[in-house]
Amino acid sequence: MEARPALSIQRSGGRQISSFGASAALSPSFPARPAALQESSPKFSDSQYISVERELMHRQPAPLSSNNGVVGHIFSSSSGFSTNLHFSTIEQQERHPRQPPFISQSTSSGKSVMLAHPVDSRVLQSTASSQFNKENNDSWCTETLPDFLDFPMNTTILNNELDVSTNGGIPVPSEDLGKPSDWQDWADQLITDNDALATDWNGILADATVADPAPKSQISLHLPGTPGEICTSGGQSSSANAAPAKQRMRWTPELHEAFVEAVNKLGGSERATPKGVLKQMKVDGLTIYHVKSHLQKYRTARFKPETPEESSEKKLASIEDLSSLDLKTGIEITEALRLQMEVQKRLHEQLEIQRNLQLRIEEQGRYLQMMFEKQCKSGVDLIKGGASSTSENALKELADAVQNSCAKDNLLVEAENNETKGETAKTSGETSQLVGEKQKAVEAVVLENPEPSAGEKSESPPTKRAKVDE
Amino acid sequence: MKFGKRLKQQIEQSLPDWRDKYLSYKELKKLLRLITSAPAKMSGSPSEYGKAEAEFMYLLNNEIDKFNSFFMEQEEDFVIRHKELPHRIQKAVDTWGPNGSQPSDLDFKDEMAKIRKEIVNFHGEMFLLMNYSNINYTGLAKIVKKHDKRTGGVLRLPFIQKVLEQPFFTTDLISKLVKECETTIESVFPPPEYSGTGIFQGERAAPGEGIFKNTVAALMTMEEMRRGSST
Repeated sequence: MEARPALSIQRSGGRQISSFGASAALSPSFPARPAALQESSPKFSDSQYISVERELMHRQPAPLSSNNGVVGHIFSSSSGFSTNLHFSTIEQQERHPRQPPFISQSTSSGKSVMLAHPVDSRVLQSTASSQFNKENNDSWCTETLPDFLDFPMNTTILNNELDVSTNGGIPVPSEDLGKPSDWQDWADQLITDNDALATDWNGILADATVADPAPKSQISLHLPGTPGEICTSGGQSSSANAAPAKQRMRWTPELHEAFVEAVNKLGGSERATPKGVLKQMKVDGLTIYHVKSHLQKYRTARFKPETPEESSEKKLASIEDLSSLDLKTGIEITEALRLQMEVQKRLHEQLEIQRNLQLRIEEQGRYLQMMFEKQCKSGVDLIKGGASSTSENALKELADAVQNSCAKDNLLVEAENNETKGETAKTSGETSQLVGEKQKAVEAVVLENPEPSAGEKSESPPTKRAKVDE
Repeated sequence: MKFGKRLKQQIEQSLPDWRDKYLSYKELKKLLRLITSAPAKMSGSPSEYGKAEAEFMYLLNNEIDKFNSFFMEQEEDFVIRHKELPHRIQKAVDTWGPNGSQPSDLDFKDEMAKIRKEIVNFHGEMFLLMNYSNINYTGLAKIVKKHDKRTGGVLRLPFIQKVLEQPFFTTDLISKLVKECETTIESVFPPPEYSGTGIFQGERAAPGEGIFKNTVAALMTMEEMRRGSST
């Protein structure tokens, strides 16, 4: 039982996770915790533990899954608070340099987030049952991160909140994106359903002050508001964790425009919070996670419009430009750019053509397949019928069908040739090659069916054509 | 040149972030060899065959997921940048243009040059994404065809059907963005000035090198694919 109080704080978080049925296998802050804990541990009895849990959830938008069990027990004790503050600041500082093991999977671009998520949930699930304490501790600290970062990702914000002079919902602009990047990785990895819940917490925190008992009521108000999410998170730990991550949102320009509108209404990309934007957009199927990552990208795009590659080149170019102040250089560069553009345009055209061809080939293949199946059926029927004359007809029909499709192929080839005068040679070369491929497929299909003679017959014309084209 | 080799070359030339996002063609081929070498389904140990087959399918599906994620991620970025571009141009015009708040010819030209470069690179990147999609599709089609050829399976048609519907292959949006980019470029680039003196001086006039190199590689790949590659 000694260990229990010491771990109680972590476990509160851990409990939350475990209600997901998951816990992260991390141990960043655990070792350093005991120091802080020793002071606080004697204070905790079970009831206080719950209150601490509550406080922690107050102060840090911790995963709401704890609500599952703990809704009824809402206390606040100032001592608990101060300890929490103290504790959490320590913890926060501790977290900084640490890199939990499976963070290494992620890149800062967040693109791996998607991939990491399913992994996370699996990892989480696997460790759920075992080693409850240790992992829960860790999961808790990392779990709270995403919630911190629900405010426009910032350590300064976190500090502010903890310093009781809450900025409410007003995000502090992220001064250095570099520092929280690790955090973001962590956060993103463990976001899962916490986001939906966490947003409520954000709202709560926005209105809450330190010793204010109001948050409690707000919490309780909010909790019923999100029973769906909580239930889903609690109930289907694996799927719930995996689902938001796997459902990648396809951002169309229209959707993005709505996003931008919402952001502008909320005072710009710096001030807008994911939750606010989500509410403003009122789009079905859009989760806070989607909005959050998109907001992140949006901000990066606005303030760092250059890619690293471009920026380094630009620096070189601009330095040279400025030093020489040579208009001619500018013109040269422009011309070179223009040339590059032309090349890219040309390539783009070719790519489009190639794609179209591929699609059409597939279509043709399907069509042929269908035709052959039809013919086979009728052929088989006729054969069953036994009349030799009719089977000959069937063969003829088959051959006709093939030849029709071959004729279509030729039309295709010709059409393509007309389209691309400049690229005729290449295109026809490609089409003929692809046509050749298809003919082989035709061959294969034809050979499979019970009339081999028809196959042979149809084989030769296509191959001849293919050769002619080449 | 065989597709696998071509693919490898393309990957090497691609932007660093992209390198591991391409199709693992070699992996799939290895698995395929495993499948064919494993005793046939009926005779011997069906489990080996089944296992290899399952792994093959598993990898295929994983690859598709990988493509989708990456593609949609990039697409999202492009959508954002695409929207931002006109704003930046407008801002530059407003601030440094002739009628702007702080008209400064030098700054204006400077900024416009930067913007031009960016647009061209942006266009290039979008094109590269389309190329990425295309190459991966081709690779998938090839490997599945090989599979069917060697195992006599009928994996190909339904699989390709599925692939055609995948987000990573439906590049219509990107295509549209590219076209819009092209029109924007028209407006941003001044009319061609053919100065009498030699225009090009290699080193300095090599903007967006990485992207340019990549597009050249893409062009070569496409040519190769058209020259009647082996299956």
